Amino acid sequence: MSISWIKNGRKFAYGTFGILLFGTIWFFATNGTNLGKILPDPITVLKKFFVSFAEPIGTKTMTLHILTSLRRMLLPYLTACVTGIVLGMVIGWYKPLEAIIKPYIELIRPIPPIAWIPLSIAWFGFAEMSKYFLIFLACFPTITINTYSGVRSVDETIVRAARMLGAKDRQLFATVVMPSTVPYIFAGLQVAIGSSWATIVAAEMIRSSEGVGWLIISGQETSNMSQVLVGIVAIALTGLLLVSFMRLLETKLCAWNERGA
Amino acid sequence: MKKKSKWNKYMILSIVSLLVGVFLWWLVTDGLSAVKSNILPAPTTVVKTFIKKLYDPNPEGGTLFVHLLSSLKVALSGYGLGIILGIPLGIIMAWYSRIEMTVRPVFDLVRTVPGVAWIPVMVSLAGIGLLSKALVIFISAMVATVINTYSGIKQTKEVHLWVGQTFGASDWELLTQIAIPSAQPMILTGCKIALGSAWTTLVAAELLASTKGIGYMIQQARGIYRMDIVIVGMVIIGLTGAALTGLISLIEKRILKGGRY
Repeated sequence: MSISWIKNGRKFAYGTFGILLFGTIWFFATNGTNLGKILPDPITVLKKFFVSFAEPIGTKTMTLHILTSLRRMLLPYLTACVTGIVLGMVIGWYKPLEAIIKPYIELIRPIPPIAWIPLSIAWFGFAEMSKYFLIFLACFPTITINTYSGVRSVDETIVRAARMLGAKDRQLFATVVMPSTVPYIFAGLQVAIGSSWATIVAAEMIRSSEGVGWLIISGQETSNMSQVLVGIVAIALTGLLLVSFMRLLETKLCAWNERGA
Repeated sequence: MKKKSKWNKYMILSIVSLLVGVFLWWLVTDGLSAVKSNILPAPTTVVKTFIKKLYDPNPEGGTLFVHLLSSLKVALSGYGLGIILGIPLGIIMAWYSRIEMTVRPVFDLVRTVPGVAWIPVMVSLAGIGLLSKALVIFISAMVATVINTYSGIKQTKEVHLWVGQTFGASDWELLTQIAIPSAQPMILTGCKIALGSAWTTLVAAELLASTKGIGYMIQQARGIYRMDIVIVGMVIIGLTGAALTGLISLIEKRILKGGRY
């Protein structure tokens, strides 16, 4: 117990030292040098970040900007989760359907979701719908393929053993296929939440009037570098929260199979 | 023999499915002209545009070849730098615990920022030329490489290290002769993932700030409602991404003669 405490204490001390070192280098690199004319120092950025929760940037405070982006992300993400998991299971289980549907997914997959931005603007205009479409595209193939490979990785021998012992299709699915697929699904959901966060930032940078991506791009347009960096801090922290939340959910929901962190 | 014919049956199903898809696409565009060409061009138009773009620099001022070359140049220079620095950094971070404890928190903060978000910062630091985009790609490629190299080294089997220690290997020998060789598959996976994120980030960077490249081409084409060029661009992005990943898989097979693990 006490040993682990000492270990954690050391870890914390070194970590703090690392961050302070980074901050100090940044501070001295920007104070009184030419770089300082372009890049604000860390104290300014942090101050501005905290102030932005009370004072609005543009029309909204920071909390609302973050919530706007999250709201944009959540609906298509959940849609992609449901459809992706269902479709992945179906094509993993039924060979003919796999042959029909999988080529399309393999065609879409290598195209980065960001490359769909021009097309989505042409199809859905600049409204929210085009952003939903992009997020959906960012998540759907990953989740589907992960679920699919999860189903495919189920040990054939176990399936046959269960069949022989008289398991019905539903039992087979619930007790054999599901438990070994869930870790794969979670890996997919984890990757998808990261890439949808990156995509929403990109989509908002292309066109929007609010949200964290907008913070960055409007900061650039008005040459307000500290606003850009405040936006980056907000994106980093929110992304970190999202990923840790997913990890927590995973350890809670599938305790029987912990992947390495 | 029987197995082979079954496989062929599914192949045929896939091909039929794709043909039906293309036919439906043709039906809603050319066949029934239900959809305007500035929303979704016909497949025949896309093919024609593709051939035409090979030699015709109009309307946005570059042939397909020129754009592709410029994109590749940017992507590969950033990517190369990213893996050259990323692999050693990952190894050092995983092997020396003091450095790990110091660098990890800063690194964790940086890695949660999607590559796209760095674009405005880099553009104001280095203009909209090759350098700024290469820097953005460098960051996103390096993050992926470091993470995978790091976990590759961390997953070195303790037993192997013990054997090394028993036979009197120094710390350096343990690292270079046991840890690094056994981490090779993970390192190469990291290179593959890094390539994917480098390519995605490149497209985003070109959509936002550039004067040539495939991303620039589709962004300009959208402005003048030439959806056929947009689709050609997306296909090229997808194909190039897939080809580059395939190339790394080939290298992977060459290097990992002993198979995975």
